Amino acid sequence: MRDAHTKFEAHGIKLYAVSYDDQETLQEFAREQDIPYPLLSDIDSRVIEQYGILNTEVSRDDAFLYGIPFPGVYVCDESGEVVATFFHDSYKKRDSAESLIDAALGRTLIDDDAPQADGGDGEIRITAAVQGGKASIRQGILRKLIVRFDLGEGLHIYSDPVPKGMVATQVEVSGPPGFTTLPMETPATEKLRLESMGVDLQVWSNTVDIVVPFYARGELASETRPLDSDTIDIEVKVRYQACTDNECLLPATEAFAFTLKMDVIDVPNLGFHKGHGQREGRFDSTPAMRRLIWRKVKKNPLGLLKFLWKNIKLELGARKRAKQQNSH
Amino acid sequence: MTTERDQAGFDAPAPLGHPARASMPKGHPTGPGVGEQLPDFELPDANGQPVRLHEHRAGARAALIFYRSAVW
Repeated sequence: MRDAHTKFEAHGIKLYAVSYDDQETLQEFAREQDIPYPLLSDIDSRVIEQYGILNTEVSRDDAFLYGIPFPGVYVCDESGEVVATFFHDSYKKRDSAESLIDAALGRTLIDDDAPQADGGDGEIRITAAVQGGKASIRQGILRKLIVRFDLGEGLHIYSDPVPKGMVATQVEVSGPPGFTTLPMETPATEKLRLESMGVDLQVWSNTVDIVVPFYARGELASETRPLDSDTIDIEVKVRYQACTDNECLLPATEAFAFTLKMDVIDVPNLGFHKGHGQREGRFDSTPAMRRLIWRKVKKNPLGLLKFLWKNIKLELGARKRAKQQNSH
Repeated sequence: MTTERDQAGFDAPAPLGHPARASMPKGHPTGPGVGEQLPDFELPDANGQPVRLHEHRAGARAALIFYRSAVW
């Protein structure tokens, strides 16, 4: 978010970040990482609870962890009304700054520096682009593959469902193992009746943005292993059929290829994050970690013992699983 | 600590089942939804200055990020 802050500013969007960290920690963090937007200290998780997103999977006995939220983002308009929320089924999935900006502005932007390729012909122009974080790939960070159709006057493309024999617009994105896509996101359709064929269709016209969010799983990019390669190749297949207000044109296929840069993750400068081949943060959070543990544990000293015991049990379980896997 | 890959396919430097790896359960509410007013609040920033969300926004659009920690 730090690098993207100028983009937020350019669009007049304010950025706020809330965590349960103490003010001193946030001050050190902001200084070391050059963070220009407000880092807010919700030390007793009051606002996190007010919003109803306290991580209820963490118990009061989980020592320093209690009080964290399920991570997520709210985007509001000028009046303060929520226009989008971003929460995921894994805490590792994060949205790129560009997605938040798009949500705030209610449109899909393709940055000038986003990798892109063109296809189609005079009346149907197709642009494929990879949007978000300069298209770099990291574990869990969502990027967007955007396929933009610029359709000439009176031309339409179809959405599912279509009558038999006709082709709905499809975008397939594929890459190496661990490259994972989410369902295609499409704008609202309009109804069109082709009188000559007696069929009703759901269509898009003019400029149509079809978005396929994607991210890397552990096989491709991991927080606990160095990168296998500096780049990956992905392929985009677009299949569609266009029509005028009277008749269908022939189905068409376009293919695009991109080479995307793999990026290591910035990890906090703490023992258990180090040595995995990732980029260690400049901010040495060891003193902050000590403060955090003390702050949480003094309220519940017995919790620390339970937490340590839980850690030992979990660790033994993990070692047993690793041993079983190695013996197979 | 032993590194393991979770069901979602992600690696982390903690064993499976560790509370630091707990994600939001399916169907869990996610707070104020689209169309609702973002609840106002006041919290100190990194310099100890109180920030009241809607007053500080001063009529601008905003992204409000809740993250786990800057520490770990």
